[in-house]
Amino acid sequence: MNFSQAFKMAAKSISSNKARSALTMLGVIIGLAAVIILVSYAQGQNMAMRAYYESMGTNTLNVSAYSYRGDVDVAGALYDYCLQLDDLVLGVSPMGNVYDDPIIKFESKTISRQWQSMGGGMMSTAGQYPSIILGNDKYGLCNDYKIAKGRDLSYLDIEKDNQVCVLGSAVADELFGFADPVGKTITLDGTPFLVIGVYKSKSAGVNVGGTEDGQWIQETINRQDYMILLPATMTRLFNHNQPIEQYIIKAKDSQSLKEVSTLVNGFLAGFISNDNGSFWIDNPTSYQNEQAEADKLQQRFLGGIAAISLLVGGIGIMNIMLVTVTERTREIGIRKAIGAERKSIIVQFLIEAAMICGIGGIFGILVGYLGTLIVGKMNFDIILLPSAGITVGAFLISVALGIIFGLYPAVKASGLQPVEALRAD
Amino acid sequence: MLIDIKNLYKIYHEGQESEVRALDGVTLQIDRGEFVAIIGQSGSGKSTLMNILGCLDIPTYGDYHLDGTDVTDLTDRQLAHIRNKQIGFIFQGYNLIPALNARENVELPLIYQGVGMGQRAERAMAALERVDMAERADHKPAEMSGGQQQRVAIARAIAARPPIIMADEPTGALDSKTGRQVLEILHSLHEEGSTIILITHDNGIAATAERIVRLSDGHIIADGTREEVGL
Repeated sequence: MNFSQAFKMAAKSISSNKARSALTMLGVIIGLAAVIILVSYAQGQNMAMRAYYESMGTNTLNVSAYSYRGDVDVAGALYDYCLQLDDLVLGVSPMGNVYDDPIIKFESKTISRQWQSMGGGMMSTAGQYPSIILGNDKYGLCNDYKIAKGRDLSYLDIEKDNQVCVLGSAVADELFGFADPVGKTITLDGTPFLVIGVYKSKSAGVNVGGTEDGQWIQETINRQDYMILLPATMTRLFNHNQPIEQYIIKAKDSQSLKEVSTLVNGFLAGFISNDNGSFWIDNPTSYQNEQAEADKLQQRFLGGIAAISLLVGGIGIMNIMLVTVTERTREIGIRKAIGAERKSIIVQFLIEAAMICGIGGIFGILVGYLGTLIVGKMNFDIILLPSAGITVGAFLISVALGIIFGLYPAVKASGLQPVEALRAD
Repeated sequence: MLIDIKNLYKIYHEGQESEVRALDGVTLQIDRGEFVAIIGQSGSGKSTLMNILGCLDIPTYGDYHLDGTDVTDLTDRQLAHIRNKQIGFIFQGYNLIPALNARENVELPLIYQGVGMGQRAERAMAALERVDMAERADHKPAEMSGGQQQRVAIARAIAARPPIIMADEPTGALDSKTGRQVLEILHSLHEEGSTIILITHDNGIAATAERIVRLSDGHIIADGTREEVGL
């Protein structure tokens, strides 16, 4: 008997016992859908946090350092030191904030800080005034900004003290609408700055959902598009010419990051003592790694539950296959009596089991996708889809379960003497 | 000698108090082309004998040579080949597979022989025509009368053209008219050269055979023509 014959026979047997086949498939469907939904749920739960961390750039260190003494150039020293670490460090940039709130103007468009009274004091209305950042040519690299139009700051812009700026996408939209900002000049409190480039939006395409956390994260990411980057040397015009005390360092990878953290810590400790200044180093990637660890634990836990449900589905398959064989012992007897080899019978039952599990598996994937969409919408308010790896893996497992659990009854049935099998009712 | 058994025993629960000797030292030879009826009361061991002759069961002790081959030495797989190629079975309860239609049932032994689809259908239809059931080829067993089912079962038994046909009470579940039809088919197969072994408890049917073997309590107590056995 050839394979296609066995295949047709199995198909016939499945279709002639529709109720039984459907019940068996139900076990697979529930098991597989549960795996897909649970694992996707775990992944969805961490999606917002991951988007948040990714928007901030990975493998970065935030350094705060200042000196009481005006004659110590912390920025220059740190910059030079990081240049020496060029096999570990991709870039270092000052990360100052202009807190003078200059009025931003382009032709008739104006952006200024709006104040409103709130609880007895004055509060700035959130989201209405961009962050004006003082950085260098590596600021974009360190913070994962990518150029959409024009160019980024260059080393020469800093050196030559050029009055140029790069706009975040939201500021560009607000001031220029659909027009191209590159080459135009905006003013900050009347000082002209040539727009040399626009960054790509960080918030576009970010999927964090509509929960309270998700909204907060979305807001945070949106804020990152609402920025203007100026060369760090522009401190001469703003902040009463105070030196910048914040820096960001981007390491090559997470391994280098740890080393850089230690080295920079040592360097600054030798450079700044308690009586002449202060510094600290913040490593957001370490939170990120902790978060990733916690995610992994949770995924393992949910994966375990899912594996149990898949196992229960598999036992269901084994159970129904045993019943099937008992019910069809007579048929097996007939087949053996007219010359079926043991192998033919095993192959037939195996294909039958694999087909039931395969068909159940396809429906299980459909149910899993549907369930994931519903769970994603209800819990995170996002379009959540299971990953292809989970889907394929779970499908293969369910078919393998069918084959493993279908094997035992098939072997058992095929081992009977024909006369014993024929005696069964 | 086509079938040659010597001192054949089939013992259930051997050595226990409930020991049953279904066959208690049976020796029997059947030649090619014979029509043999095996008769006896129920419990005489005739079905057990047929099961062993048909390689559906294995004896506890004894020799069985089928067409010169020592069957007791064969593997499960070799026995399956013998059942497939040498023997066609007809059972009292027809034993058709309910999910398959008449033609598919008749095709089964050919499938296990590895006959290709086109030739298989052709041979199955020829076998069905032989028993006058060709027009019922697409019907499932449940849609046929007992006599029709038994004719399909005969078609299945002869589809692979085995030299031996073994029929275990083939008319037992049929009324006398359809039973006669089935018996006529067996006789015409015999005339075409098949060796027929017929198990029955019906003396009238057994009397149509040229040789009759009577069993009682697992022993052969008579073996010969109708007159010699005393029917």
